[in-house]
Amino acid sequence: MKYVPTIGIECHVQLCTKTKLFSEVDNDARGKEPNSCVSPVDYALPGMLPRLNGAAIRYAILAGRAMNCEINAFSRFDRKHYFYPDSPKGYQITQFYQPIIGPGFVELPSGTKIRINHAHLEGDAGKLTHFDSYSLVDLNRVDTPLIEIVSEPDIHSAHDAHDYCKELWRLMCYAGVTYGDLYNGNMRFDVNVSLAPEGSSELGTRAEVKNLNSFRSVERAVEYEISRQSKILDDGSKVIQETLGWNDATGKTTGQRSKEEAKDYRYMPEPDLPPINLSAEFIAEESAKLPMMPNDYREKFGGVIKDDILEILLDYPALMTTLQQLEQSLSGHASARPVVTGEPRSSSVVTSGRSQKALVLVANLFASVLLAEEKSAEYLNDLPTAAQLSDLAEMNEKKELSSTATKEVFLKMFDPGMRGKDARTIAKELGVVQENDLGALEAIVDAVLAKPETQKAQEDFRNGEEKVIGFLVGQVMKESHGKANPSAVQEILRKKLS
Amino acid sequence: MEINCETVEHLADLSNFSVSDAENKSLQKDLSEILKYISQLDEVDVSDIEPTYQVFEMENVWREDEILKQEALREDLLALSKEQRDNQIKVPKVL
Repeated sequence: MKYVPTIGIECHVQLCTKTKLFSEVDNDARGKEPNSCVSPVDYALPGMLPRLNGAAIRYAILAGRAMNCEINAFSRFDRKHYFYPDSPKGYQITQFYQPIIGPGFVELPSGTKIRINHAHLEGDAGKLTHFDSYSLVDLNRVDTPLIEIVSEPDIHSAHDAHDYCKELWRLMCYAGVTYGDLYNGNMRFDVNVSLAPEGSSELGTRAEVKNLNSFRSVERAVEYEISRQSKILDDGSKVIQETLGWNDATGKTTGQRSKEEAKDYRYMPEPDLPPINLSAEFIAEESAKLPMMPNDYREKFGGVIKDDILEILLDYPALMTTLQQLEQSLSGHASARPVVTGEPRSSSVVTSGRSQKALVLVANLFASVLLAEEKSAEYLNDLPTAAQLSDLAEMNEKKELSSTATKEVFLKMFDPGMRGKDARTIAKELGVVQENDLGALEAIVDAVLAKPETQKAQEDFRNGEEKVIGFLVGQVMKESHGKANPSAVQEILRKKLS
Repeated sequence: MEINCETVEHLADLSNFSVSDAENKSLQKDLSEILKYISQLDEVDVSDIEPTYQVFEMENVWREDEILKQEALREDLLALSKEQRDNQIKVPKVL
């Protein structure tokens, strides 16, 4: 039988605040010793009280606005009780009843809209490492601020599940609220999948695949669940509502624990944290700090840069920021509004032909030269400035640089010895500036035409042998040490030989 | 609400306690009495009253996002746990 899958996704995003959600402890434990970013609050020692981090509230507003969500003026915290060694408190502080982020939607590159039910702030748990006969607990991650984003079950294919997760990742990175490092678990996805016979109005029983940490594993896990559940239903059996884990190596989901008994989290209002009651002004002020979002860039550059190239570049916020700065400097608009990170929002379409050419050139250099480099990850952290790139585009436009020379100069901009130097200086040092000065070129052409070894070719050309022009151009290029502009040389040659 | 043997077992399970049969019996009695005492509140009609989440009328209490040097040392905090290994807290195997 044919089934229609219905998919809802919960996503945990670690916020890149300086300190944790409830203590003044370093929140960036990357590359740090276990249990070195902890305080008595994280250990939940008797008498310790949580102190709410204001930056987490600001970040939640940005994250919410990035997903077109309403921001709830009133929100508060609850305790969710469970007993596990990764949580010394014995409960997680979360927002169960009144979350800070209300309904909204995420638009996929295909145009499909996925509704967001809500998103809430909560603290992360510690990290457990399992050994044969014991487990070790590292509390560095305890109470790292998270926002949990809960989608409506609007997704109906593995492909859209992939695209939704990827677009969420982009939105959170562009909003500047997370480092977005999936490898280190900065974003984790729980995927609910159910199948219903085509045409049926009732949803099937769902299974939840927990803790996926890449777009690819989300896509594969959904594909696997669709085929697993289809087989069960085809056999006339019933899908069990359960929580599953994903094994990337085997490409299969496996049961973790049955949900026969509904979990009993004993939610209660968190008595140690007063509620949040935001004024409309505060929400508006913080929302205004949202920088350029992927859709702003699509609107702005969509008609100029090819769609497939633009979608590749959108995975790298730093590249888009640089393109935006380049466009601003070409059009004479300086960015004025201060934002958390990224560029202030403005989606005016690029109209000037010169700007369009420069943007296309730089976008292509980014996509086909920079991203193809082995060291591209390193290069992305230290990109050339808009001024350097603008000069480079201008030299290319004026044919002072051939396309090969343009790539060469562009790559030299990442060379430690050349870093920060302007395009012209680098081009001169490399000796690749093309000679466009007609007077100077004519002199070289005359010198070549005077040489005995070119006499036969000149005669052949005059007798109608068109292709020897290539040989003559080559001689001039050689004489000019490769700096002459070949098309200008050919024009001069034709004039002189006619 | 009736507190029976299973209720006590379920509650103990949620907190990872083990409870002996004798303790279970006495807890059934204690918990039933506590619930009975509290249930007097059911007589009050609260249908028009908003639940109280906070007894202090405070709102928007938050701090700046600045790291403070911690006075408690990692070693001191780790020493509070029963067993340690490689600067981590060692616990019985969980999955």
